[in-house]
Amino acid sequence: MAVETPTNRDRVEAPVMKRPKTLVYYLKKIWVWVPLACLAIWTIGPVLITLSISLKTRGAVFADPGLIPADPTVDAYRDVITRPGFREAFLNSVIVGFGTALLTLLIAVPAAYAFARYRFRGRHLLLLFTFLPRLIPGLGLMVPLYRIAVAVGALDNRLTLIVVFTGTILPLAVWLLVGFIQQIPRDIEEAGNVDGTSFLQRIRYIVLPLAVPALFTIGVLAFREAWNEFDLVLALTRSTAARTLPYELFLITTGTGLANNPGQAAFAILTLLPFVFVYLRIEKYIVSGLTSGSSK
Amino acid sequence: MAPTVPRPPRRVTLLRRRRARSGPDHNSLIGHHKLTPYLLALPAVFMVLVLLAFPAMYASWGSLFDTETIGGEPQFVGLQHYIDLFTDPDFLWSINRTAVFVGGCLVIGMSLATVFAFALNKAIGGLRFLRGLTILPYVVSGVAAAVMFRLLFNEDFGWVSRLLALFGIENVGWFINPTLAMFAVVVAQVWTDLPLAILLILGGLQTVDPTLLDAADVDGASGWTRAWKISLPLVTPQLVLATIWFSYSTMTALGVVLAMTGGGPLGATRTLPVILYETAFRNFETHPALAIVVVVLVLNALLTLIYFMMGRRFDIGDS
Repeated sequence: MAVETPTNRDRVEAPVMKRPKTLVYYLKKIWVWVPLACLAIWTIGPVLITLSISLKTRGAVFADPGLIPADPTVDAYRDVITRPGFREAFLNSVIVGFGTALLTLLIAVPAAYAFARYRFRGRHLLLLFTFLPRLIPGLGLMVPLYRIAVAVGALDNRLTLIVVFTGTILPLAVWLLVGFIQQIPRDIEEAGNVDGTSFLQRIRYIVLPLAVPALFTIGVLAFREAWNEFDLVLALTRSTAARTLPYELFLITTGTGLANNPGQAAFAILTLLPFVFVYLRIEKYIVSGLTSGSSK
Repeated sequence: MAPTVPRPPRRVTLLRRRRARSGPDHNSLIGHHKLTPYLLALPAVFMVLVLLAFPAMYASWGSLFDTETIGGEPQFVGLQHYIDLFTDPDFLWSINRTAVFVGGCLVIGMSLATVFAFALNKAIGGLRFLRGLTILPYVVSGVAAAVMFRLLFNEDFGWVSRLLALFGIENVGWFINPTLAMFAVVVAQVWTDLPLAILLILGGLQTVDPTLLDAADVDGASGWTRAWKISLPLVTPQLVLATIWFSYSTMTALGVVLAMTGGGPLGATRTLPVILYETAFRNFETHPALAIVVVVLVLNALLTLIYFMMGRRFDIGDS
């Protein structure tokens, strides 16, 4: 969970730091510097190069090889934004993203509270939340959910996407929240209970305010899931009525004719937009979310 | 929900254990109806069952049927679809491609993840921002990553091609040559999946007992020896965990492959997910597609089994 694990950083570094910083010292450190530089290039390189191409014209992509465009232009972005289908897809992504985050929280919080605070007979169902997402990947859901959606007439509908994405992210959300709620001291709630607050008041005024960081994390994780999901969108949408950005991007990359390289690059960059604003804040939560027992 | 005085903890005896377990006394949150936890958990359990468990059962059941015409009445055909699948050279080829794809991703991905995690563990001071940078691919969708790497591997202006041109290797048709196309797709897939593996291994490295490293240092062990003989064996559980997660993720990866090569060239990257997509949504052979779904689920279940066996072996469980 989010608990900081004891690190060996200081103790290992201490003897090293005492040595004089000679050339040999820096040469020895090369085994740290080189991989770290590679990591930085590996991670950010593809994004930077894409950003660079998105700021060039179609011709300049071939003529101007530099990373920093000689003659930067936002034409590619204008093209993408005015393109039919983009605005609908963007709107769909925003609605489905926030819808999924909201629905996930609405369903996960009560469930996590029950699993964290009560010892009831259905408690072993929590195991379900760890097993099932491992057993059933999104890919396995494509065809069955498509068939079911056709049968109940829910194809090509934003609400369907919201519900389905909520289902796929719920196990992780509940799992994370259970751990978090267990960290909130029970005594606070009991004190509130003695003071005569009702159950709902305790949730509203004690548990939720303390759980804000966890709720934010789970909201972002759910939003990301919905924003980036591709397989299920491919299966469950047919038109611009519900199609989200990854599918729209997929369509323009597979379109016939001369490839519009800056356009594709600009589109790819635009899909990263919502994360620019939350990236720094979510980083440490994402890390705990990523590494805490789910295949997501 | 009137406020009540807390009851003294009930003594749990053999006779009263059943009542004690269902009652609220373990929780000491008093004034609740016995059904409260059930009502709170119901929506989540219901959704997970309907959206995850039911489709899996639906696929298993549906794969035993077939229709003569689209929309026709399904007829029971037993295991016919599975027999067809495993005698179909296309399907066997896709299994082969999946093995190559997953294997390639594991080799490249785990090597990179291990090296990067060890380096990140030494990143101190101003370099710690690199940890934040590491998760960047996590917010990039598979399709967007595919677009990025297609630009990167572009024959005319891609940076990879230009880099190779410096060494005199020119006109490399990354998406024409089957082997190279597979390599490019593997690299893109590794890029999207690497953050999780790095963070897992890094998490393991940070729990390595520093006194062990100090002791080895005093005994004159070099940094390499310490990394190889102490740290690496101690993070074996995390390495195993990351390997299994990588397998999960790459075995069911559709977005990157489909958007990058669409299964080509010459079917070189037609992995299991691609053939599933084609069967279901291009050829509209739903029932055979459900059989492929079951194959995917079975492979996934096998991985899960390994995961839990390893979990017990290395005592990693679900943390």
